[in-house]
Amino acid sequence: MKPSPRWAAAAAVCAAALLAPLLLSETQLPVYIVLVLAACVVTGLSMLMGYAGQVSLGQAAFFMIGGYTAALIALEELPTWLGLAASPLVAAVLAAVIGVPLLRLRGHQLAFATLAVQLILLNLVGQQEWTGGDIGLQGVPRLAIGGYEFADDVAYAYLALAVLGLTVLITRNIVKSRPGRGLRALATSEVAAESSGVPVAGYKLAVFSLSAGFAGLAGGVYAFYFGYVAPSSFPVLLSFEYVVMVVVGGAGTIYGALVGATAVTLLLQLLNNIGTMEGMPAAAPTVLSYAVYGVLLVLVVLFMPRGLVPTAAAWWERRRSARPRGDDPASDGAERPAPAPASV
Amino acid sequence: MSGPVIEVSDLVVRYGTATALDRVDLTVGAGELVALIGPNGAGKSSLVNAVMGIVRPAGGRVRLNGRAALVPEGRQMFADLTVDDNLKLGAWRRRRVPGARDTARVYEVLPELARVRGQRAGTLSGGQQQMVAFGRALMADPDVIVVDELSLGLAPKVTAGLAEHLRDLNRERGLAVLLIEQNARLALELCGRGYVLEAGRIRAQGTAADLLASEEVAAAYLGGPAGDVAAAKEAAMETAKETAKETAKETAKETSP
Amino acid sequence: MSDFLQYLISGLAVGCGFALLASGLVTIHRVTHVVNFAQGMFAVVAGLTAGSFLSVGLPHGLAEVAAVAVAGAVGLLVGLIAIGKPGTSAQSALIATLGLGFAAYAVEIMIWGDNPRSHPGLRGTVEIAGAYVQKQSFLVIGVTAAVFAALLAFFTRTYLGKALSACAANPYAARAVGINVTRMGLVAFVLGGMLGGAAGVLLTPLMPISYNSDVLLITNGFAAAVLGALNRPGLALIGALTLGVAETMVAGYYEASYQTVVALALMLVIMIWQSSRRTALQEEAAR
Repeated sequence: MKPSPRWAAAAAVCAAALLAPLLLSETQLPVYIVLVLAACVVTGLSMLMGYAGQVSLGQAAFFMIGGYTAALIALEELPTWLGLAASPLVAAVLAAVIGVPLLRLRGHQLAFATLAVQLILLNLVGQQEWTGGDIGLQGVPRLAIGGYEFADDVAYAYLALAVLGLTVLITRNIVKSRPGRGLRALATSEVAAESSGVPVAGYKLAVFSLSAGFAGLAGGVYAFYFGYVAPSSFPVLLSFEYVVMVVVGGAGTIYGALVGATAVTLLLQLLNNIGTMEGMPAAAPTVLSYAVYGVLLVLVVLFMPRGLVPTAAAWWERRRSARPRGDDPASDGAERPAPAPASV
Repeated sequence: MSGPVIEVSDLVVRYGTATALDRVDLTVGAGELVALIGPNGAGKSSLVNAVMGIVRPAGGRVRLNGRAALVPEGRQMFADLTVDDNLKLGAWRRRRVPGARDTARVYEVLPELARVRGQRAGTLSGGQQQMVAFGRALMADPDVIVVDELSLGLAPKVTAGLAEHLRDLNRERGLAVLLIEQNARLALELCGRGYVLEAGRIRAQGTAADLLASEEVAAAYLGGPAGDVAAAKEAAMETAKETAKETAKETAKETSP
Repeated sequence: MSDFLQYLISGLAVGCGFALLASGLVTIHRVTHVVNFAQGMFAVVAGLTAGSFLSVGLPHGLAEVAAVAVAGAVGLLVGLIAIGKPGTSAQSALIATLGLGFAAYAVEIMIWGDNPRSHPGLRGTVEIAGAYVQKQSFLVIGVTAAVFAALLAFFTRTYLGKALSACAANPYAARAVGINVTRMGLVAFVLGGMLGGAAGVLLTPLMPISYNSDVLLITNGFAAAVLGALNRPGLALIGALTLGVAETMVAGYYEASYQTVVALALMLVIMIWQSSRRTALQEEAAR
């Protein structure tokens, strides 16, 4: 009932995001673009984990499919915008197709199944001639839409932001809609949701496919920005990284996805700067980044299982409600269901 | 041994924000048979779990003077293990590996079990499983056993047979018993003293005869006004003995090849 | 024919490695219901540790056993973090073990660097019907058979083993008789660590191992264990042997790079086939 602080926060986040490309240095911009693209993937994955209650350990596979789709179309000398438009579609359709058998699995089985899908895909892409094998596809042309060519980093930063904006808007509308409420029921108990008339299988497939679409779109931008795609750009570790971002931010919230992606990227960047300082061993950046993933994941899962944003929101609500009313038992501050039930 | 074997004072158990037990006091003296009755959801199982150290109390104290063993609600077999292994695991609290001599003592008390000792516990009938649960508790060489829902899901005559065993153990070995039961009449006829638990609090306590005679208890748990208690008790004892004999015969038939 | 025999035996050896890994996964899952993503890491740690012990002059046998003990200690550490805190759900514990895998990467790179390493095992080959088979393969098969026999005896004959089975069968009843289920879970993690470690020590001479070999190892171990729904070591053994032989055959007769694809596809098919015989209600009830 208090829209003002909420809207103020949203406006501040938007303003900061829009100003950032103009203020960041040449070396910082690529990091920013990768961060924004990761946020797109993480927003979708967060919905999958928070609402459908399922972990995907292979989300980078859809990012890869988007990237390869865009690159292949652009290299065929077709309009580049077509490549960008096709990247989410191909990823979403593929997810819908493999989702039919795959989503019969739950919990750890689905986690391993999605991991397996990515490993298989990486393997296949690395063998085919038309995907460029291990070397991948080089020389992807710059993206051009209606005569405007996205040429420099600032342009791609705004493109990435536009894609993120679209992702967030779609997600927000879905969460607030009637099907969105059905999805919440799904997160608590599939059986209960099913018996109250929620088409469980259909909704799960839709969320899975949508999250793949977001990842695919981000992958499309990635391909145009870097100008090449190769299997080594989409390692399994990238999928794990997305899971870390979701868990850190808090599954099932848009802010959680944004905060998770930002926090993890910034922390990694900071450690990378430390790791590459003079006198540090060559392996230091890698060691530090793995250590961060590991320690973050463990600490958050054990001590903040709902993630940063919901925990902070609950804390804030408690503080606020504690002041005027005194002994009222702490209400469940965040406005979302408890995190994914343990279906392992 | 002097003093009570179980002494619960001011016990509070919470699950999240829900309070299951609210400042409960209860004692079981050495060699005493005590009943705890109350409706579903009154907090009986929470009390059991707190006494056995399975849940941590939010407040108050549980003091055990001696060893307690549990016959858990729903029998809770180790279904894939044999009856013999189920019994042996009952001795875990004694901190030594039990041998054939230990199980032999239980088979002596519960001869029905000796015949099925090699069978997997999951294949037994409900009554036999309850017997295994009993035997498993006895393996701990306890000073008191806590029986959580003796009659649940069992035919009346099977229950009566088990009740008879409890009485014998109490009489012959001085084993104290805390019997948690939904069937208030059964519990109060077996035990000397009882507590009534409702919505997490002790609502009434006293000797079994007093509780049986109390209008309130009778109305809520015994399905009608208090009648001629002594006569009812007498009659119940008779039928219990009768059915116990039958049950013994029955189980013998069931298990002999 | 001699090719076939060679592939069969070396496939069985690789499968035995997967089987040890899978049995660790099963042991931990049965007792704690946690799918331990760090299971492959145990193998990596033990494989690399054994190499280091050998290079500082420890004799064969002692070096391997010590490395397995180290893996057991690492297993204890993983268990303490994954299930030590009361109220940690199985899904949270899975993610925690994923995180521990990362943390282990950092430590492994610091100690051993990021290149694949191997250490010598049993040298030489044996000729059988025209096929040349590495002696190490026979060692792997023999040791695995012994370990599985010991495991069977442990779970069915010893008091501690029965207590572990009891926790798996009915945790509430286990608590009722006074068994500390969390402590038994830690015992399972130590066992799992040692089993994973044994796999690593035996496989490293056959295939070089680097810090990130754990993903393929855990996926293969999981694929094998999933055949028995992560609860039945016997089926896991069959699954692992099938997987090992199938992968070696694909690599030998067709194309080495497709071997993991075959294994993974097999795992997907098995899981989906199994799930078609289960309903959501059954799964939620089983939690």
